[in-house]
Amino acid sequence: MMSTMTNERADSPACATASLGNYRFGDLPDPSKWADCVHCGMCLESCPTYEQTGEEQHSPRGRVHLMKSVGEGKLELTPDLLDPIFTCLDCRACTTACPADVDVGGLIEQVRGQLRQAVPLAGWKALVSDVFLKGIFPHPSRLDWLGRLLKLYQKSGLQTLARKTGMLRMMPDHLAEMEAILPSVGTPVRRKYKHQPLIKAKGETKRTVAILTGCVMDVMFSDINEATIRVLTHNGNDVVIVPNQTCCGALHVHAGDRETGRKLAKQNIEAFQDVDYIIVNAAGCGCMLKEYPELFRNDPEWHEKAERFAAKVEDVSKFLHDTGFKPPKAELNVRLTYHDACHLAHGQGIRKEPRALIESIPGVEMVAMPNADRCCGSAGIYNLTHPEMAQAVLESKMQNVPQDVELISMGNPGCMLQMALGVMKHGRNQKIVHTVQLLDWAYQKEEGKDVRI
Amino acid sequence: MLSLTWIEELQEFLHPEQIKRNDSFHPLGNDGAVTVYPQAEEEIAAVLRYADQSGKKVFIAGRGTKRGFGGQREQADILLSLEHYAGIVEHAAADMTVTVKAGTVFGDLQRALAPYRQKVALDPFWPDEATIGGVIAANDSGPKRLGYGSARDSVIGLRIVYPNGTVIRSGGKVVKNVAGYDMNKLFIGAMGTLGVLSEITLKLRPLAKYESVVLLSFPSGDVHDIRSFAVSFLDTMMEPVCFELFNPTLAERLTGRPVYTLAIGFEDVENAVHYQEQWVERLRPKAAEMAVLAGEEAAAFWRTFNTVAPNGRLAQAENGIEAAVKIGVVNLDVLSILRESVLIADRCHVRIEAHGGLGHGLCQAYVHGSEEGVLAAMEELRQAAVRLGGYAIVKHLPFSLRQRIDVWGGKPSYFFLLEGIKRKIDPNKTINDQRFIGGI
Amino acid sequence: MRKRSIATNDPHIQALARIVGERAILYRKEDLMAYDCDGFTVHRHLPKAVVFPTSTEQVAAVVRYCHEHDLPFLARGAGTGLSGGAIPLNGEVVISLTRMKRLLHVDLENRRAVVEPGFVNLKLTNSVAHRGYYYAPDPSSQYCCTIGGNVAENAGGAHCLKYGVTTNHILGLEVVLPNGEVIEIGGNGVPDPPGYDLLGLLTGSEGTLGIVTKITVRLLKNPEAKQTVLAYFDEVEDASQTVSDIISAGIVPAALEMMDQTAIEAVEAAAFPVGHPKDIAALLLIEVDGISAGIDEQIDDILAICRRHHVREVKVAQSEEERARWWANRKTGFGAMGAISPDYLVQDGVIPRSRLPEVLREIANISRKYGLRIANIFHAGDGNLHPLVLFDASKPGETERALAAGSECLKACAAVGGSITGEHGVGIEKKEEMRFIFTDEEILAQTAIRDVFNPKNLLNAGKLFPTPGRCVETKMPSTVK
Repeated sequence: MMSTMTNERADSPACATASLGNYRFGDLPDPSKWADCVHCGMCLESCPTYEQTGEEQHSPRGRVHLMKSVGEGKLELTPDLLDPIFTCLDCRACTTACPADVDVGGLIEQVRGQLRQAVPLAGWKALVSDVFLKGIFPHPSRLDWLGRLLKLYQKSGLQTLARKTGMLRMMPDHLAEMEAILPSVGTPVRRKYKHQPLIKAKGETKRTVAILTGCVMDVMFSDINEATIRVLTHNGNDVVIVPNQTCCGALHVHAGDRETGRKLAKQNIEAFQDVDYIIVNAAGCGCMLKEYPELFRNDPEWHEKAERFAAKVEDVSKFLHDTGFKPPKAELNVRLTYHDACHLAHGQGIRKEPRALIESIPGVEMVAMPNADRCCGSAGIYNLTHPEMAQAVLESKMQNVPQDVELISMGNPGCMLQMALGVMKHGRNQKIVHTVQLLDWAYQKEEGKDVRI
Repeated sequence: MLSLTWIEELQEFLHPEQIKRNDSFHPLGNDGAVTVYPQAEEEIAAVLRYADQSGKKVFIAGRGTKRGFGGQREQADILLSLEHYAGIVEHAAADMTVTVKAGTVFGDLQRALAPYRQKVALDPFWPDEATIGGVIAANDSGPKRLGYGSARDSVIGLRIVYPNGTVIRSGGKVVKNVAGYDMNKLFIGAMGTLGVLSEITLKLRPLAKYESVVLLSFPSGDVHDIRSFAVSFLDTMMEPVCFELFNPTLAERLTGRPVYTLAIGFEDVENAVHYQEQWVERLRPKAAEMAVLAGEEAAAFWRTFNTVAPNGRLAQAENGIEAAVKIGVVNLDVLSILRESVLIADRCHVRIEAHGGLGHGLCQAYVHGSEEGVLAAMEELRQAAVRLGGYAIVKHLPFSLRQRIDVWGGKPSYFFLLEGIKRKIDPNKTINDQRFIGGI
Repeated sequence: MRKRSIATNDPHIQALARIVGERAILYRKEDLMAYDCDGFTVHRHLPKAVVFPTSTEQVAAVVRYCHEHDLPFLARGAGTGLSGGAIPLNGEVVISLTRMKRLLHVDLENRRAVVEPGFVNLKLTNSVAHRGYYYAPDPSSQYCCTIGGNVAENAGGAHCLKYGVTTNHILGLEVVLPNGEVIEIGGNGVPDPPGYDLLGLLTGSEGTLGIVTKITVRLLKNPEAKQTVLAYFDEVEDASQTVSDIISAGIVPAALEMMDQTAIEAVEAAAFPVGHPKDIAALLLIEVDGISAGIDEQIDDILAICRRHHVREVKVAQSEEERARWWANRKTGFGAMGAISPDYLVQDGVIPRSRLPEVLREIANISRKYGLRIANIFHAGDGNLHPLVLFDASKPGETERALAAGSECLKACAAVGGSITGEHGVGIEKKEEMRFIFTDEEILAQTAIRDVFNPKNLLNAGKLFPTPGRCVETKMPSTVK
């Protein structure tokens, strides 16, 4: 599968033959990113993997040092480098902690691109990667098909059967656990609104916004997409669902497959070119969209397009907050806590806006979560590729979740699955909700609907 | 009198007036066949070099207030007195540091600093007789250690004459310094077994603008009352410079009332001192009685307090034996030690005046009685300390009794390191031989 | 956290893995390279292996093994040291203490806590803050540095002006000696344990006398009141004079920090800007704490002194949030240099406070002489300067020039009776500069002490003391073949 990579290297023509130390593939890492690091170590304690292992090569500083060492020709791109570079959750907490604003996450993604080419995936990992990252996520119809299959599995009694017969025991533990917390699959909004590309605002239209429906999001969490649409229209936004949009590519870029990332980016950039606002309800996707320009560092034409595109992207919570959302009037009597998704807090610097939305709802009692911006271990498909570390990170996270709350709110679907897993494993009964769902419920209640949380 | 022909050799580097033969030995031991009085560092070095090369033993003394502290030899060949090696070398008032010769009387130093509204933040016993060198070498401290720390927190630099006559500097003249090992620490409290402290550089603190001491007496005698008050007061954000408990015997001597008494000292601007006194008032148990001594009254109180410990310069007590024991325990365990001091005094038929700091864990017990009574009481005090995970060392005792009790209370597991350090620095055991723990 | 199996025939690696377990040892070059330096990056050297013991027994067993097999070894905490103390110059086995990070015991009534060496400094304060207590030493790296490392370096911090450095807060230590023997000093933290003050000697011995495995520290009660003042000056001299006058007025501030124009440029360009004016020559960050009833008087005095010295603007923090912002800006100052320079080298000289103006002038001269910018961020209250020499290591010769400039700054400090290091330690970085302040005999007096503890010199060799002859950095300890 990596053979296509080399063919496509021409995509970044200027650097196709250049090299930087032992980085020899196109799309070279940006040395100024590691030059900013003065090795002070302020990032160490922010890093969830360092917390678990105490190992420097599993810390932001250590990783930057290793990546720099390859650039200096002191290390080769070898299989032994995979562990330090790919164990990173890409949670960006280090970027928040860094006094010099070193873009560790961006650097990690660039180097993963190099490393994946030098050390192609093999065996079942390659297969899984091919099937999911290339075969399914970028193709809404296939995802939709997978979703229907999953729905069939859940609704037909097969799930019950599988659980009862112990078939699940044949799966690796972490997959079996994931199975247990899969949300029930609804109808993707892309399918639902296939013939209605514009959903009118309630009342006067103030502006028109497009939403990124997402790939997995729309299959697994179509109810959140629905809630997002309702909340946006409630606040005077016409919502469009542009047809050619695709997966944001974050998972590919995290995995080092920058080429596919670029392909998806281009498709999205073109798909959304006629809209002014691109609203995202998945923190990981939003962060990726805002970072599209990084993918085109060596391609001035697309870089410029990506810049223009990125400027239009906003997370739904910040968008609502900044455009003066209507504070709900109905009460939701509930105690809850808020978890900062990494790609919201660290990736996009969005912390106070979602909290402000939640706190605007009458009757909501917000309990602060210590270290709320600590990664939960979800990190895209990290919980599938690094189950043991993801589990350990989740364990630390759960230690900080207050016991006496009914809901845990957040702004990223990956986190929602992971936190649901944490709640289940700890035998707790908290429900996991997306921030816009809370607002949606409050608005619905305001309209006299019976809302049961 | 033995013929000491080698004494003339001393005259090669000392004036005859600096050399004095001793005919009789001091009952506290730690004496010398001759006493020499160097007046310059080179003279100290010359004496040591001579002794080290000619196999002579040297004891070191300031003015002798701590003569009864440790030591298994009645006399050495030479008693090196620093009495005439005194004076301030440099007072950098703007930098708040002072460098002083070891033989300087502690009180003289404080008086020299006072016009600058500065002080050395130590409150040793007998300040008008003890020398700064002795205070540092014996690591003496008083109740205000709670607020200001001990010698190791004030000393920033030393000049030390090694047993072979080499002069070594440790630390420096700056208040913060981590260049090389923190060698200052090695010599503080080393009882002069590693070298002769020649010059000492200390960091200074501003003199407090206002001072008071609150005396809180507990007529009930119930240690639990004291404990619960102490715990609640020490948990406030007040900043007492001392929080010292006196046992009834000592309290009687200092205040005239034989009941457990807490001395809580405050040093700050006047407002802040009164504010803190009010906190004591608010938290004190109803039965406790409170008196406040302010300003000069407080200073006078401490002047008296500072002379309750035995002093090696004074004549021996005529009726019975006098001893001083230093006990280290974890802070609040001081209460147990003081309570024990009362019980032990009864059991051993001795008089024990004791005090200890609830915020730092050091107690001093002054035992007065018959030889056997004093020995037994010291043994019991030690057992009480050890039961609490602490220690007891004897700070003052006549030489004859030091043969009968290990004043240092045995060797720690890491004694080989202490021995190793001594061997490196003083391989010939020239100075203060057997003065310190484990006979080093 | 991959599953590891030991894929090497090296018998030492295999033996060490048997002691600590296969998941607690690193030996591949790709992992080891992360350990080739600490916060001091000028020298880099690969360790032989890195082990992660989880108990005193494991530390002792590793040390015993190294001792018996003449393998050089050293201990490492978070690796934030700024003088190279944890750099494995001799291909050491690095004993990383990051997995010994438990808070073992807290006893607030007696104001003490017991921690393992890998416990992070700030976490201790965070663990007792709800009861109003804190751990005083606060090096700028306190977010991530370990208390074990603080003990090794005798770490200071912004607030040590009033409260002292690490050594003033250590009550007891458990130590693994270089031969693997375990000793305990100070027991449960009783004051003045009889014997030479080994606590004092070990604290700040830069990991050359033993490896600390358990630490009893003193905790302090929070001050009742705290006020922080920020003062902007148009002349460095005015700021310096203000520092001197505050101290000589009998005020003991909890902290008294200064930053010059270049430093301000960096912190304002970095992650925690405060909005300091760019055109001021220096700023002072002054904090006083204590009894509420007395604090206003101190603040009034300080404001008056600032005004006497032509302060352009002076303000008192109006909220805890504002105060925290000022401090975050200051405490991330070193790292912030990354925002204006690819590399920096920080020096750590100490001078008598009253000599501040002349030494700052001298540093400015050195900056001109070497054509390198030097930023100054420092603990003005205790005369502890941190000249930050800015350079670009990728430019040939610039690293050497920066090192020479740094060394000359230290010479200037030594010349006024100061020290070459106030809190960062000597490490590799300043060992030659030890000669600026100590004679050969004085250095020998110190190495003699080291030999008592560390006779084979396998533990962290080549640090702290200048060695006769050149190229000392690459010289192996005598026992190593």
